[in-house]
Amino acid sequence: MASALASTFEPGVRIDHVSKSFRVGAGEVHAVHDVSLTVKSGEFLTLLGPSGCGKSTLLRMLAGLDTPDNGDIIVEGDRIRKPSIARGIVFQDHRLLPWLSVSENVALSLHTSPGSAADKAKHVQALLDLVGLAGFANARPHQLSGGMSQRAAIARALAPKPRLLLLDEPLGALDSLTRGRLQNELLRLWKHENITVIMVTHDVEEAVFLSNRIVLMDPRPGRVRDVFPVDLPHPRKRTDPAFIALRQTILDVLEKQPH
Amino acid sequence: MSGAAAIPQRFLSNAWKPLLVPGVLILIWTAWSLLTVQSDARMLVSPATFLSALAGDTASGFLPAAILATLLRALAGFVIGAGFGFVIGLAIGLSRIGSLALSPTIDSLRQIALFAWIPLLSAWLGNGEAMKITLIALGALFPVALATAAGCTGVGSPFLEVGRALELDRRTTIRKIILPAAAPAIVAGLELSLNISWLGTIGAEYLIGTGYINGMGDGLGAYLAQAREFARMDRVLIGVLALALVGLTLDRTVAWLSRRIFPWQAR
Repeated sequence: MASALASTFEPGVRIDHVSKSFRVGAGEVHAVHDVSLTVKSGEFLTLLGPSGCGKSTLLRMLAGLDTPDNGDIIVEGDRIRKPSIARGIVFQDHRLLPWLSVSENVALSLHTSPGSAADKAKHVQALLDLVGLAGFANARPHQLSGGMSQRAAIARALAPKPRLLLLDEPLGALDSLTRGRLQNELLRLWKHENITVIMVTHDVEEAVFLSNRIVLMDPRPGRVRDVFPVDLPHPRKRTDPAFIALRQTILDVLEKQPH
Repeated sequence: MSGAAAIPQRFLSNAWKPLLVPGVLILIWTAWSLLTVQSDARMLVSPATFLSALAGDTASGFLPAAILATLLRALAGFVIGAGFGFVIGLAIGLSRIGSLALSPTIDSLRQIALFAWIPLLSAWLGNGEAMKITLIALGALFPVALATAAGCTGVGSPFLEVGRALELDRRTTIRKIILPAAAPAIVAGLELSLNISWLGTIGAEYLIGTGYINGMGDGLGAYLAQAREFARMDRVLIGVLALALVGLTLDRTVAWLSRRIFPWQAR
């Protein structure tokens, strides 16, 4: 009975022998080469690696913004063909629409959701409260700091209640103080929303601090090099010897990576 | 307290600077007219003659009527031309078929200097109001069409990807992303187009059906043409100055409006 169910519905994410090349000038760049991965439902997975390792391309394919040349990506039992609001994405640059207020930006991702305008407005306000932007519903993006913009972008991605949240170096452009604060926020949201998160980063400490599992990728061609489970209880402390040891292990592997 | 006082003071210390060059020119002009014993009124009149002519033409309503006629004509041509230009620009910028069908024609037509249309238009429309407004509208059309098309096709892929990621349909994408993103370019096109309308109106009034020739003309262009025919240097100067000042006012008003509408541009 259980096995019959498992064969028809497959929770989580399965990346199955996915490859993607880009034409650059006369040549071809193998951005992602034969990557296979499974992500459990509710997991926080990090794609870690130097630039050019294909981690962002892989995330864009998960979002449906790029299509694989070969292989399949299956999310919650469905093969990805195009972008969907069932998979929220947050980019490194917040990409809020500057001509809309913060609440209008968040509300834009509810355009297909059922429900009255009043219900949607309530939902948007609740989300802004959740990400700590309660007083900024009517602010314009250019009036927000980098951290606040990223909070708004996260609220926009979460608004349609996606099963999967894709984060493309969401904290990469922030100062270290804001970054640390938002890392805690991400953990809180991940638990609160009970959601699967796949995050791209090149920051080893961030990866160890946040994720259940770290996928280390190699560049040219972009491929999986190693997978590190992170079995540290939350809240994690950056000064914990086990934390430091894992961070060092990953840094050592990165050191030996071909450049 | 000192902050409140500092603002007007700083404003005052800067406010006179734009007037420096005109002020010096007026000084030179006054000095010239005082030092010249007998001047040729066909070359340049004294500031006193100029001012009395200005007062006379203002009091008689001749000058205000000319300014109003030119403004209305310029705005009529601008609205018609910019309207068509906007629609053509949207067709080129939003649709591949529209671009293929219209771009070559628009790109060819805009190579024709505005005043080269006069023989054709006057043969078709005569030398009346319809002809003048069509000419002005033609001049206003191209900058808006080009700016709208370029603005729509030039929307950055980051914003378009947001639309794709949120599964926006084509209509919502155009309304919420493409048009707002293109708006600053479109407004720049409108500003240029309004300026061309203003300049084109003077040309149309000056060259087509002036008051001197057939009694049909009005507006600042006709005012200037008449002043020239009667060798009225005072009125030539008044006309030229009115063109500059009214044009400047139009220009600054539109710039101010666009800053109000697109505050995120002024970061």
